[in-house]
Amino acid sequence: MLRLSLDLLANGLIYGCFYALMAVGLAMIFGVLKIVNFAHGEFFMIGAYTYVLVALNFSVSPWLALPCAAIGGAALGWIVERLLMRPLYAGYASWGFMKDEYAVVVTFGLSLLLVNLVDKVVGPYSYKGPALIETSRFALGPVMLTGQKAIATVVAVFIMIALALFLKKSVWGKQIQAVAQNRLGASLAGIDATRTTSLIFAISGMLAALSGALLAPLVNPSPDVGSFPAIKSYVIVVLGGMGSVWGAMIAALIVGVSEAFFSVYGSYDYRDAFGLAILVLVLLLRPQGLLGQKGRDV
Amino acid sequence: MKLRQLATGLACVGATLALPPAFAADPILIGASITQSPPGSVVQGTQVKDGMEILKDMVNAKGGVLGRQIKVLYEDNQGIPEKGRAATEKLISKDKVVALAGGHQSSVCLAEIEVAHRYKVPYVNTNCWSDDVRKRGYPEVFNTSPYNTLVSSSMATTLATMGVKRVVAFAENTDYGIGQAKLTGELLKQKAPNIEYKYETLDRASKDFTAAILPLRANPPDVIVMSMLPPAAYIVMNQVYEQGLAPSSKTILYDGGGLADYPDFWQNVKEGGKYLLSFALYHPAMPQTQLAKDIAAEYKKRTGSDVNRLVLQAADSLHLVIEGIKQAKSTEPDKVGAAMRTMKFESLRGVSNFSTQQGYSFQQWLDIPFVNYELTAEKQPVGQTVLIQAPGQKFDPAKIVRPK
Amino acid sequence: MKAGPASLWRDRLAFDARAAVLLCAVLAALPLVITGPYAQGIILVSMYFAILSLAWNALAGYTGQFSLAPAAFAMLGGYTTALLDFYWHVPLVLAIPAAIVSTALLGLVLGKLVLNLSGPYLSLTTLAFAEIARVVIGNSHEFTRGDQGMHVATLTESRLAYYYIFLAALVLVLAVLYFMLRGRLGRFMTAVRDDAIGAESRGIDVVRVKMIVFCTSCAICGLAGSLYGTFSQLVSPELGLLQQTGLVLAMVVIGGMGSLTGSVVGALLVYLGSEWLRELGNVQVIVFALLVILFARWVPGGLWSAAVARIGRKQA
Repeated sequence: MLRLSLDLLANGLIYGCFYALMAVGLAMIFGVLKIVNFAHGEFFMIGAYTYVLVALNFSVSPWLALPCAAIGGAALGWIVERLLMRPLYAGYASWGFMKDEYAVVVTFGLSLLLVNLVDKVVGPYSYKGPALIETSRFALGPVMLTGQKAIATVVAVFIMIALALFLKKSVWGKQIQAVAQNRLGASLAGIDATRTTSLIFAISGMLAALSGALLAPLVNPSPDVGSFPAIKSYVIVVLGGMGSVWGAMIAALIVGVSEAFFSVYGSYDYRDAFGLAILVLVLLLRPQGLLGQKGRDV
Repeated sequence: MKLRQLATGLACVGATLALPPAFAADPILIGASITQSPPGSVVQGTQVKDGMEILKDMVNAKGGVLGRQIKVLYEDNQGIPEKGRAATEKLISKDKVVALAGGHQSSVCLAEIEVAHRYKVPYVNTNCWSDDVRKRGYPEVFNTSPYNTLVSSSMATTLATMGVKRVVAFAENTDYGIGQAKLTGELLKQKAPNIEYKYETLDRASKDFTAAILPLRANPPDVIVMSMLPPAAYIVMNQVYEQGLAPSSKTILYDGGGLADYPDFWQNVKEGGKYLLSFALYHPAMPQTQLAKDIAAEYKKRTGSDVNRLVLQAADSLHLVIEGIKQAKSTEPDKVGAAMRTMKFESLRGVSNFSTQQGYSFQQWLDIPFVNYELTAEKQPVGQTVLIQAPGQKFDPAKIVRPK
Repeated sequence: MKAGPASLWRDRLAFDARAAVLLCAVLAALPLVITGPYAQGIILVSMYFAILSLAWNALAGYTGQFSLAPAAFAMLGGYTTALLDFYWHVPLVLAIPAAIVSTALLGLVLGKLVLNLSGPYLSLTTLAFAEIARVVIGNSHEFTRGDQGMHVATLTESRLAYYYIFLAALVLVLAVLYFMLRGRLGRFMTAVRDDAIGAESRGIDVVRVKMIVFCTSCAICGLAGSLYGTFSQLVSPELGLLQQTGLVLAMVVIGGMGSLTGSVVGALLVYLGSEWLRELGNVQVIVFALLVILFARWVPGGLWSAAVARIGRKQA
């Protein structure tokens, strides 16, 4: 019993770190634009595929493929923002009061496009991504780990700490925070809100792509691999508080661990519904989540 | 004079050559509803398509059937029953196919045979194992596929022979998976009532199964049976291996889904595939007809991989339809169906008569040959695996190789 | 007294209604020209989507409740009928209305849940509701056979008869929505959409408006799902996939959110278009997705407003 609980705790934390990477990007987008992004899972998928394809086809070390995935995700995020998201705030009158609808439809189309494009171009077979370290399984106390799980977790934690420092200390990071809090006010203060938004999308895409790359050896990506982390990301972002990066990180760990425990001690079949039920409960009882701010439009 | 005669002669020859060729007949259309995108098993769909294409090309090269070429129309059903139903509708009512073949996912088959039955078009079941497909008793459905009763009773016998005590099965949440897991349990209870057996249903679209796997670590079973298809099957194998659960010195991993000969097997499981015990429907040691050998050679030439049982099953299904058309000397679906029911036919595997008993055996080839083998090295080709049960022999547990 | 915003609204609605009647007349006459069962089946399924689009437009386009659950309610309606038929052999003439009732009730529940939410919070809650419904149905193997779906009885074997059944349902739904929109309820709905707080302060019972619209919209989705289940003789969790909801959204956006006819036109065009694109094989979905993105990005207001603008310019 104790051993199983430790197993579940360890696995929950490990997966939680990967979910955190994905959710943080989504939290940032939410904070700034307050939209639902149907295509977030596809950034994950693109990252996973970039990693796998670069490592397999160009015979480079997986450690080089990782930043390739990051760059790919960032580029995609930037392009999406530039082409598709501008209308939401660049004064596009006709869509003015319907930005939610626009965002959902456009990102839905984008998601469908990316999944089928990859399916057509790369093929529908799944690929097991190469591990960062070829150490196979080893035991850490009572818990069984693999080299990939251990290293990937360390990398994920490292990235999150770097991100937190970036947001807090760097000029760009502070600009991002300003735009997230109050777009109008920030631009009045001289911050280029549009360029900052591009940056946010790029970072969000990069983080999701890294999450995909780190998980590639564990989930054998196929073109539709993006859907499961996407839903989890929403749950996490809502739980953590929309727009709160710290909230997303903490919530990701909570969700990872509690899902692990629920699926074994609660019900295995309905474990997906569990996370969604959390989302509903949070929105009903405490809409600002753990660390978000109580907004007027809730 | 001579010049004019020559010119006339040449003109006549020229005119004859310039005439359009004798009316080139339309191709004969055969429909195939297969999986070509997720969430169904795409690797299966690809094998089916490859098998049918190879046979079709061979037949067309020899002049086709009834003076016409064969064309196979493929529709993607994504492994979803509703899409299979729509695809079958389209193939029958819009494209007017003579017959259908290639169905390889049981849940989709169950939806599609309803359509075939309504329109009375022959439907050759290429790889749907669920007994329910047969139990409906539709005369349009020709079951050339392995069936769960065959596989489950063989697996139950194998488990009983192995003399183990506890068995856990992972089944995918489809007609095939649940059907196989349930049936294996029931048959096992008859053969060896003191063996403890339970099965766990897994979502084939999920990417993480640790919640089902971790609880087994405290008290690992003697055998873990897999009734799953790729890609979920590969993930299960990887995660079971990563947790140190199976294959191990204590626990055998036993596959009832015929995974080991898929072309993407090794690239997806790597070291987790070593020591896998597999129920299998194809092994080079089995007797094969010349046509089967030709298909194997052509498959190797086209894809670089060794042939596997699904490619042969698919080719066999098309073979049955083509022979039916030949025998009936017609492309009317009901005439072709009638011919298929009664004709003498030699399949690629030597099995050829349809049983007429109701139930799981309805219009099914009963004696499909099988073996059991074990993979003992990474990237091992099927021909080099260790045969634990050679064709026609009994299962010999002493041959099982265990990891240290 | 009758001039002003009220009559302007009614004029636009009347124009919309006339267009809708014309469209339905065309659909009624089509089988004279299109006699093949396969083609009739395609139009029939696009009518199914047209009904869903109308239901969603009423809820989101007119009332601003941006729900992501229409496909889920169609699935729930279909399963209500399927379960009643499978376990208790309830005749369809009762099982189909039962689907309407059950989804209306569930619609009330959902409406209650999201009463105080708006924007992305509302969308996410409805999305969670929809996914929970799908996961629960998809995983309850013992009751619903899970992913494999359930067999359903059928009203008739005739494809043509089903064509007219769906057309009748479409006309019924259009009539219901027209009468809802025509009266004060219609203007209350748009008031709630544009400024809920302002509407409340002017004495409109916002809660009641939302509940009525949720109930009606979800019931219409349930009807559509139930009919479709009896048509294809199969219900599966696939009916409630988020992707199906996305399809409905795309249809309404492309057709135009400001009108009823626009939703029907959008549904017909998108579905027929995707069938026609089938000829291109695998590329079909890619082209479809590109079209959705292009339309959303560069043709806001959908085809309807583009067409109306054209007509308006001609008259001017």
